Amino acid sequence: MSYWARRVSGAALVLGMVLALNFALFRMMPGDPVTSVMDPDFSPEARERLRQVYGLDRPLYAQFALYVKSTLSFDFGVSFLTGRPVADELRSRVPNTAALLGTSLLLSASLGTWLGMKAALRRGSLLERCVLWSGALSFSFPSFFVQLVLLMALASALPLFPLRGSLSVPPPEGGWGFALDYVHHLALPVLSLTLLGFGGWAIYVRNLAVKVMGEDFILMARARGLPRRRILLGHVFRTMLPTLLTLLLMSLPGVVSGAVITETVFSLHGVGRFLLEAVTGHDYPAAGAAFFLLSLLTVACNLLADLLYSVVDPRVRLDRSAR
Amino acid sequence: MKGLARRWGFWCLVVLTIAAILGERLFAASPGDQVAAPFSKPIWLGRYLPPTMELRLTADSPSATLDWRYSPPSGLSLRVEGPAGETGRFVELVRPGSPPLRLAPVREGFAADGRDIAFKRSLGLPPFKDASAHLFPERGEYVLSLTDGPSFEGSVVVRLEGGRYGLLGTDQRGRDAAALFVTGIRVSLIVGLFAALLATLLGTSLGLAAGYLGGWVDAVLMRTVDLLLSIPLLPVLMALAALWGRGLWQLVLILSVFSWMGTARTVRSLILSLRDAPYIEGLRGLGASSGYILRRHLLPETFPVLLATMTLGVPGAILSEAGLSFLGLSDPRVISWGRMLHEAHSFGAFAAGAWWLLIPPGTGISILCLAFLDVGKHLEETADPRLRRSRT
Amino acid sequence: MRRLLLRLAAIAALSLAAPGLTAGAASRFSIEDYSAPKVKDLYLVIIRDPDAQLMALQNGQADILGDIQRPVDVDRLADDPNVNLSLAAGFHGFFLGFNNRSFPWDRVELRRAAWQALPREQIVRDLFAGYAEPLSTFLPHVSPYYEPSVRAYPYDPDAARRSLADAGWTLDGDGVLVSPDGSRVPAQKLLCPTASVAPTTAELASRAADALSAIGIPTSTEPMDFSAMLSRIDERDFQMYVLAWQMTRDPDSLYALYSSKMDIPGGSNLPGISNPELDAVLNRLRFAPDATTALDAASDAQALLAELAPVAPIYSRYSVSAVRRDWKGVLVTDRVTADNIWSLLSMEPASGPMRPLYLVQEEEPRALNPFTSTSAYDWQVMGLVYDSLIAVDPYTLETIPWLAKSWKVETEDDGDGPHTVLTFLLREGARWHDGRPLTSRDAAFTYEFLMKNKPPRYFDNVDNIARVETPDDATLVVTMKNVSFWHLHRIGGLPILPAHLLERVSDWRSWLPASERHPDDPSLTLMTGSGPFVLREYRPGEYVHLTGNGDFWLGRR
Repeated sequence: MSYWARRVSGAALVLGMVLALNFALFRMMPGDPVTSVMDPDFSPEARERLRQVYGLDRPLYAQFALYVKSTLSFDFGVSFLTGRPVADELRSRVPNTAALLGTSLLLSASLGTWLGMKAALRRGSLLERCVLWSGALSFSFPSFFVQLVLLMALASALPLFPLRGSLSVPPPEGGWGFALDYVHHLALPVLSLTLLGFGGWAIYVRNLAVKVMGEDFILMARARGLPRRRILLGHVFRTMLPTLLTLLLMSLPGVVSGAVITETVFSLHGVGRFLLEAVTGHDYPAAGAAFFLLSLLTVACNLLADLLYSVVDPRVRLDRSAR
Repeated sequence: MKGLARRWGFWCLVVLTIAAILGERLFAASPGDQVAAPFSKPIWLGRYLPPTMELRLTADSPSATLDWRYSPPSGLSLRVEGPAGETGRFVELVRPGSPPLRLAPVREGFAADGRDIAFKRSLGLPPFKDASAHLFPERGEYVLSLTDGPSFEGSVVVRLEGGRYGLLGTDQRGRDAAALFVTGIRVSLIVGLFAALLATLLGTSLGLAAGYLGGWVDAVLMRTVDLLLSIPLLPVLMALAALWGRGLWQLVLILSVFSWMGTARTVRSLILSLRDAPYIEGLRGLGASSGYILRRHLLPETFPVLLATMTLGVPGAILSEAGLSFLGLSDPRVISWGRMLHEAHSFGAFAAGAWWLLIPPGTGISILCLAFLDVGKHLEETADPRLRRSRT
Repeated sequence: MRRLLLRLAAIAALSLAAPGLTAGAASRFSIEDYSAPKVKDLYLVIIRDPDAQLMALQNGQADILGDIQRPVDVDRLADDPNVNLSLAAGFHGFFLGFNNRSFPWDRVELRRAAWQALPREQIVRDLFAGYAEPLSTFLPHVSPYYEPSVRAYPYDPDAARRSLADAGWTLDGDGVLVSPDGSRVPAQKLLCPTASVAPTTAELASRAADALSAIGIPTSTEPMDFSAMLSRIDERDFQMYVLAWQMTRDPDSLYALYSSKMDIPGGSNLPGISNPELDAVLNRLRFAPDATTALDAASDAQALLAELAPVAPIYSRYSVSAVRRDWKGVLVTDRVTADNIWSLLSMEPASGPMRPLYLVQEEEPRALNPFTSTSAYDWQVMGLVYDSLIAVDPYTLETIPWLAKSWKVETEDDGDGPHTVLTFLLREGARWHDGRPLTSRDAAFTYEFLMKNKPPRYFDNVDNIARVETPDDATLVVTMKNVSFWHLHRIGGLPILPAHLLERVSDWRSWLPASERHPDDPSLTLMTGSGPFVLREYRPGEYVHLTGNGDFWLGRR
């Protein structure tokens, strides 16, 4: 069996495990959506009807079969909590979350990498110290604290940015006005996430770069008198790239967790909050779908990371095919 | 070790640790007790606020004059003490420029509070804000007195809350924010240290095993990593909190179980790229055993990165705890900085501009994190002299 | 916790939108004083963060904030010269529950003593800064069925101790109560949500535990996940609990809460009170043939409940709402918040030209599906779009005409036992938003749709309908299977949907009328009603846009 076949089947196995775990985890939690309807005007008969409508009156194996079927067909069923199809719910939320997280991740990664490399190059300089400090600072503040302070300062006290949501009410007409409005609304959340994120990157990149620059082959290249720029891009950065890419891809699921807080603070309509509500509200279909999609994202990122690894760093590929 | 004594972070941690150990012993009241009116300001702020005062009116001394030079008090309470029975007398307030206002009958057991809507309504005051805000609207001379009537045993006690307390004021329950702040250090320290330590130990050993041994060990470990990474931490924590409860140690355990994967992966990828480095191959050619190579070369090689992730790991765990507290997912009985921020936020301190409740725990968390980073950096440089600044 | 409460509120909202006494009860209020809404555009802006809600109101980005939860915000807005605050007594009720099925809570004197030992005034002061009402009744005092002269339990721990001593209870060496027959009160666990989910509730529970311990009932709190707590209560696996209910102004929910017939799986008699006398009164209440009997039975039930003390009421939250002063025509009473339908009908700018009205929507509306939605936030929208037959007087909370201009509640017996017959006379000239006339056949079709598909939400409303008839376009006759005055509220409160759109609904569960365009008029959605506002657009996470219905039937006289 080839390496990639093994890798893909491994990923499928992981997804299967996640699927089973999702099902078990939510049903292990005490309470169900019917118990949480605490209303004297809901008679026992009406409750039974509710149980039927949710499909909770069926045996567990039937519920599991239905769950697997609907998940694999990306249908996901109807949310208990909202009564809307889960797929529909997700569709309306994914763009906001993707825009928020994608932009801020790219911004913080590129800013962090750039600053980190610079700092590694100019050891002992003021720049390095600034990078270290600002990095450490931005990495030491609780995200919600920074975000709330930003919101208070830049949206309330000094109303430069909107307080809430991703669009004005009503949104301006026309494509450009609309797009601009969207950008204006997302600017503060993205800014806050970038502020919070670039520090970790900068420190990491700097440490890695310093280490790599101490490697013999870099010293050798220097000794050979190769131009600095070429050493930097051709050797140092290339050596670092696989690790950086792994880190970037790896940080994706974690970043989604961060979306929960950000979307709470900035009143954004996104996947993070949806996930939170689904889990607390015993919304099995919604929580299951969200978890599954996240896992899918992660597994895909892992595969991609491996692929990139082998493209960028041939040593890994050679090594693997040799085994 | 000598270098360590020169780092500010080290001393900062020492001070914080001592404070954590001494904790609530520094304060007279237990941090859970109500000590003053809710949302009192710190004593060094708001000098225009009145001091807390208690006035006692009896049949013998039936009036008290207040030369009011402050903004309104933050609370008012009134109770009749002692055997007074039904006296037919009333407590009256004379305000500058308004007719006298009957506050309450002097009757045994009578008690009223400025927050009671029924009390405000009985005085014809609006139902919003404390009654005292409407009763003491401006500066001037106020006279609190008993109307004429038969003599009686006992007294009427009128208490005006000042609205200033302690170094950091009070929270929504009237608890001393300074005491809460000091008590909160412990949780952040425990969570941060133990979670990061456990995670690093786990991550390093598993990462080394996966990277160096390869084969099925690698496959199994990396699939486990994939699996754990596929599960976003926050929702899992919520689900687990529902199953296990939200104790401090559960949190530490969960945080470390779900945060070793990064370390493991980094270690593994480093080992992968190092394993075939010429000098390792050379060593192997010379007949060095796996254990020797691991111990003497690969482990030290991974050290700098490990320390980087570890130093970043402590603040990470502290921040995780704070974030979970913010979302209301931490143990409510455990006082932590994250919890203080959560409560300040959910009870409106941000909107009310009560910055003295927000800045201390917020900056406290970041100073603690920074101190760890500082010490971590020092350890890192000690472990890997190449990182030292002197060698530019 | 808050969300759940609101969900509960929501479920109650429909019945709340309906019930009351008979038509024409004396009131200074008349719907004839109202006509079509004055505002052209109404935006329900979704702002979930309370800080952001407050700032939006203060800087003019929002005009109405319907429910301000935090005392500190109330105090802050009270200082804002641009904002008017109003306070309404609500239907919320918070109770301490005892498991009446076993020792020690099967002893009525102990339950009464526990009630008397609760420092309700102090709790309200400390936890809600006074913005709540110490509760001592089983119906809200604003309900038209409220009975004031019942046994009361003012806070007095000494009196509680004395009455227990008089009943033969003693204290042992540890200060724990021992019953007259010699059983020691075992350590009690009080179930409550964790402070992280519901900080005030958790705090309240610990205060209640302290108060009970002080009179010799050794009580400690057992904080747990809210769902876990509900399932423990549902399984009757508890000694004590604290729980909030959305009370209704209708007393017939007392039957569901305290009749021994409802102490079954899924039933709402959680404390498990079982008393033949109470059962008889509650039966009389639920199956009262007319308003007078109902009122009488409601009084008896409240008096008896106060004697039996199956649970101990603690407090009822006030609703505080805020409106910016640059709007006029706002109706506030001591029972409804400013964001009521009457305000929305008559509000207009205090000066200057008409402009859009922005109302804060504290949560996302969910499906906006009238069959499945249970959230108050959904009904905040749908309540503006759909009409029901009857409405509620904002001053007295009595039933007043809405789509039905009059009605009769009669008991008939045509052989198979007595049953209630409701006859509604509909207004003339009512039209759907798409211009088609609204007739009694639309109402009949709606009811029949609900009877056929049995959405859980309406299960209890339509379960007892025997048949629906429409003798003419304006008359609707609903024949029930049994006798109950409350059928008027359960039927009259149902939203009426247009038959011509309803007949195209294939799956009621996944019907999303707000997201689909009307087949004949693309400026409308399938959420086409007859109400004062027309739904134009729902943009998830952002806002709901409605426009005033210029053709509204109230303006067509």
